[in-house]
Amino acid sequence: MNRVWWAQIKAVMRLEFKKTLFARRGLWIYVLAALPVALYIAFAVVVGNQQHGAEKLARRSEKALTYRDLTSVKEGMTKQEVLALLGKPPVADHWSEERPTDSGSNVKIEHEDYHYSDGQSDLYVNLADGKVTNLAINSYDDPGRDSIMFAGIFQFFFLRLAVFFGCLGVFMNLFRGEVLDRSLHFYFLAPIRRDVLMAGKFLAGLLATCTIFVTSEILQTCAFLWHFTARQQDLYLYHNHGLEHAGIYIGVTVLACIGYGAFFLVAGMVFRNPIAPAAIALIWESINPFLPNILKQISIIYYLKSLCPVDVPVDPGTPPILALLISNGDPVSAPLAILGILVVSVIALYVSSIRVRRMEVNYTTE
Amino acid sequence: MSDRIIFEEVSKFYGEILGVNRVNLSIPPGITSLVGPNGSGKTTLMNLMTGLVRPSRGQIHVLGYKTDDPENLFKIVGYSTQFDAFPKGLTGFEFLYSYLRLSGQEASMCERLAWRAIERVNLTEAANRKVASYSKGMRQRIRLSQALAHDPKVLVLDEPLNGLDPLARAEMIALFRAAAAEGCYVIISSHILHEVDIISDQVVMLSNGYVVAEGNIQSVRGEIQEHPTQIMIRCNRPRELAAKMLNSNHAIEISIHKDEHGLLLKTRDTDRFYLAMNGMAMNGIEIESIAPADDDALSIYEYLIGNEEVAR
Repeated sequence: MNRVWWAQIKAVMRLEFKKTLFARRGLWIYVLAALPVALYIAFAVVVGNQQHGAEKLARRSEKALTYRDLTSVKEGMTKQEVLALLGKPPVADHWSEERPTDSGSNVKIEHEDYHYSDGQSDLYVNLADGKVTNLAINSYDDPGRDSIMFAGIFQFFFLRLAVFFGCLGVFMNLFRGEVLDRSLHFYFLAPIRRDVLMAGKFLAGLLATCTIFVTSEILQTCAFLWHFTARQQDLYLYHNHGLEHAGIYIGVTVLACIGYGAFFLVAGMVFRNPIAPAAIALIWESINPFLPNILKQISIIYYLKSLCPVDVPVDPGTPPILALLISNGDPVSAPLAILGILVVSVIALYVSSIRVRRMEVNYTTE
Repeated sequence: MSDRIIFEEVSKFYGEILGVNRVNLSIPPGITSLVGPNGSGKTTLMNLMTGLVRPSRGQIHVLGYKTDDPENLFKIVGYSTQFDAFPKGLTGFEFLYSYLRLSGQEASMCERLAWRAIERVNLTEAANRKVASYSKGMRQRIRLSQALAHDPKVLVLDEPLNGLDPLARAEMIALFRAAAAEGCYVIISSHILHEVDIISDQVVMLSNGYVVAEGNIQSVRGEIQEHPTQIMIRCNRPRELAAKMLNSNHAIEISIHKDEHGLLLKTRDTDRFYLAMNGMAMNGIEIESIAPADDDALSIYEYLIGNEEVAR
């Protein structure tokens, strides 16, 4: 690249980065980026309180229990067997039920609910007429389970909504905002090629969105890990691919900013009203799983989903259409996914460079 | 490389609205004023010249450069627009400095050029204030300094004297004159016709998107045949002189000035009138001065375009 062009790109970036990052009309982008962080903080606070309650419950137990003790209880066991295994429950509830029989008379069923804890996990045991009918274990220290929740929020909120609309807000305004502010001529009167100007603006937008969303992603990871003990954090990060996953999520976020950024840059030049392209893109990205393979590839989310390190499992009872949305039935390999996003972005940037060269300063028609 | 700003059969339509139509111009160095009422196409012509809008038809070359080549074009062109909007949050100095940095020059060089341009328009004291807090006149001056900052060969100035006080106007006119004297091409659009008279080497008159006249003011006046030339003669006995003039058949209308020390005469053939004057026996009539009374921009404007929106 020509040395002067690079100096010009840096000059454009200096102006645009500051403007984009501190734009008052872009405050909602910060709110979008902060929402999942707030969600994880709230989750950590709730789980922390529950954990504290579990510890108190464990202290009140007749004997010190382990996770193995809790899982040793099975459905169909008698009340005596449960009490022999776990001791007298620290929290117990007793109630009775009158249930009609086929003969028309009523039969009385005695219910008992026991609540045990080992300090990390809670066990809920339901007994009916002295036999275990239902069991539920709720663990507060299960990074594996929580990482699936993280993957779900990342794919369905962060990528599809926060980054999508954040990029829309930033990149569509790079030229469109200047036209609305009637200040585009400032750039068009300078001795700078229009496509170099576009490159500078795109890179500034990319830097701004990456700063916002990568920071959000890092904070999300920190908030997500907050309620775990140091040992669990260490185990998750360094022995269960946690750190690797965090790095991949950051990479996917950057690629999402590149892909959506390039798309919304060109959309901002083609459309006067941002609602139309946003709606079209949102619908296109949403129906991606139902599209034929060739059309799937003309999409950003298709490649991004393929890069996500944790799959969101589909519950057996999920309706087929929803299951198709959640699962990534036809993922591509990581190198191909990265290449796909970059190719889609380069095509969008090429179209932008043609549009910007033909752009006129004609504020009165806006 | 061409030494002119050339428009060849240039037309610009905004949808169905005519901007300018079939414009052919060849603008030499010096100060050229674009004159015409609102909507006549002055700003469109300037925007075309600087590539801010693209011609629907025809070609434009600015000293050999195409207008769709901003990288080279704006090395030699500075344009002070009428758009009164600036990038947000910048001080006057930052505005100029950022503009200069866009050319890819070194920071120290841009800083030096920015301060010099600020000094040229007398904004040094306000340079570190936000442009948003500037008065209309100060904003006009900072726009002018942007156009001047990189010492362009071609200065395109859309209503550059708008909002300036009389002192600043005089300073700016001197600045434009100096630039023209150095061989620059200064293209000015203006409503203020007496200023056009003072500063212009040539005029381009526009009406409804068409160029109705171009050239220096005197030659443009000479080409207007349908309106007789008006000549003011200051003398001690105007009535006697008027009688002589009518007898000579070169004057088609004569009116005596109300102070009784002159007369206003209309003739269709100026050269023959002057020849006749030289041969006339004056018999004690003392001629103080003879001067054309309608070879100024205002008169030409009225003849060609009418008197709508003429600012005297």
